[in-house]
Amino acid sequence: MRYSYIKPRKKTALSKDMQLLFTFFGVTLIMLFLTYGFLVFRDYRFDQNHTEILQEEKDLQASINMMKLKITSIENQNILSERVFTKNSVLKDSIHNLFDLVPARITLSQAQIMENGLILYGVTPNKDIYNFMLQAPLRSIFHRTYSSFYPLDNGWFRFVSTNYIDEESNDEYK
Amino acid sequence: MLSKILETLYTKVFINIIVGDTKSIVYVEVFSKGEVTSSNSEIFKTNVFNADMHTYLKSFISQSPYHYISILDKSINQGAIPTCSETKKYIDTSSVNSICVNKKWTYFTSQSDIKDLKYEYQSVGVDFIFSPFFILSKFFKDKVENTLSIFALVEEKNISLSIFNHGTLLYSEYLHMQNSMLDDNLMMDNILDDDEDEVALDLDSIDLDEIDADEDITSLDDFSDIEDLDNDVDIEEFSEAQEIVKKEDEKEVSVDDLNDDYNKFIMIQDSINNFYHDEKYDSEFVESIFIADSIGVSADLKKYLEEEMFLNVIVRKIALEEELSNMAKAEIL
Repeated sequence: MRYSYIKPRKKTALSKDMQLLFTFFGVTLIMLFLTYGFLVFRDYRFDQNHTEILQEEKDLQASINMMKLKITSIENQNILSERVFTKNSVLKDSIHNLFDLVPARITLSQAQIMENGLILYGVTPNKDIYNFMLQAPLRSIFHRTYSSFYPLDNGWFRFVSTNYIDEESNDEYK
Repeated sequence: MLSKILETLYTKVFINIIVGDTKSIVYVEVFSKGEVTSSNSEIFKTNVFNADMHTYLKSFISQSPYHYISILDKSINQGAIPTCSETKKYIDTSSVNSICVNKKWTYFTSQSDIKDLKYEYQSVGVDFIFSPFFILSKFFKDKVENTLSIFALVEEKNISLSIFNHGTLLYSEYLHMQNSMLDDNLMMDNILDDDEDEVALDLDSIDLDEIDADEDITSLDDFSDIEDLDNDVDIEEFSEAQEIVKKEDEKEVSVDDLNDDYNKFIMIQDSINNFYHDEKYDSEFVESIFIADSIGVSADLKKYLEEEMFLNVIVRKIALEEELSNMAKAEIL
């Protein structure tokens, strides 16, 4: 319960000079702590940025490696495609040459091109035409050439020409 | 939190000032770790705050930042009223500071007087201003709550008078003895002395042999209506007669003390008459008076009250400065 008509004045252990002094030091300390806090924060942010940049660098390095791998793969694919293209060109030329090789009087019904051989099916008016006009160039290309004839009703011959290139020669060719 | 810790480390100095009419008492208690370590008292022959008091107070103020200055209220505009809720009926609440006690009664004082007091003590400051009415009720706490009595705190020139009926305040008045009143009463005493001389002369002229016994018996019939004695007027007349007789017996007592006590008696009597006659108050017949005596009243006042107002008088010494200190401690601790 309150007994007095008035309230007591606020008491403090510090005099006004001391209060001023403590206020001054307090403000100074607060400013120092704030500066320290700011620097710590900046340091933290710097470390954070550094870590982020390192991570980014690592990611980019990984990405570069990946891209290098992709480039290698694409280059290999390009080489392969070029090779395929070359092979195809060679094959095309070979086929073209093959058809150029066949004389007009002989008719081819089937041709099987294998890796190291060629089998031709066709019709020839007679064996001589075949032997002189087709077999002779084939023999110059292939190492081994075998021919089989089957007479047809009209006096013509069906022929099967099997031609092989030997492995060793083939390797050399390769 | 820090201030609380610091507060426990420091000693507390309670400075209590009682301002009288001709002197001021400064009582200082140094309080540490729950007990009073030292106490000092000094009397200054002044009723205003002067340089000597300032120097004396400063010597204690400088001891601890936790010093509390308490003053007993001397405002003539103070008092107490028997309500806490309907204070506006009795006082102008805008111009007084009041404090309710136990939701039963309120003590108050003038705001402007508090302001003046603060201004007077501005060089050292004031922390507490206590009411003599509350100190009185606290001092006679058991009697206040259990009896119907008059309670009076008697100071040098002031009397705080209140009437309590089992804890309920019936009446209160702050009585201040004016110097003019002293003069008036001195004049009145002279007149009374003249009257006494006349009465004495009359008594001397009476021849006892001439008195007839039968006449005496018949004259007793005048007292047949004994109930008339209850009449206040009769009592007053009777009291005046008593006064005359008393004055003759107290010739040895110093004139100043006699006048002071007589004036105090008159003030109390007037105040009680006011209580009985004013319809504003719920008057009841009071048989006893408890006096808290802070100055050492003579036996005369007690005798006046007992013989002229037929009151049972109980006088108890009160060290006002210590009571003030206790109140300040109760506020702080």
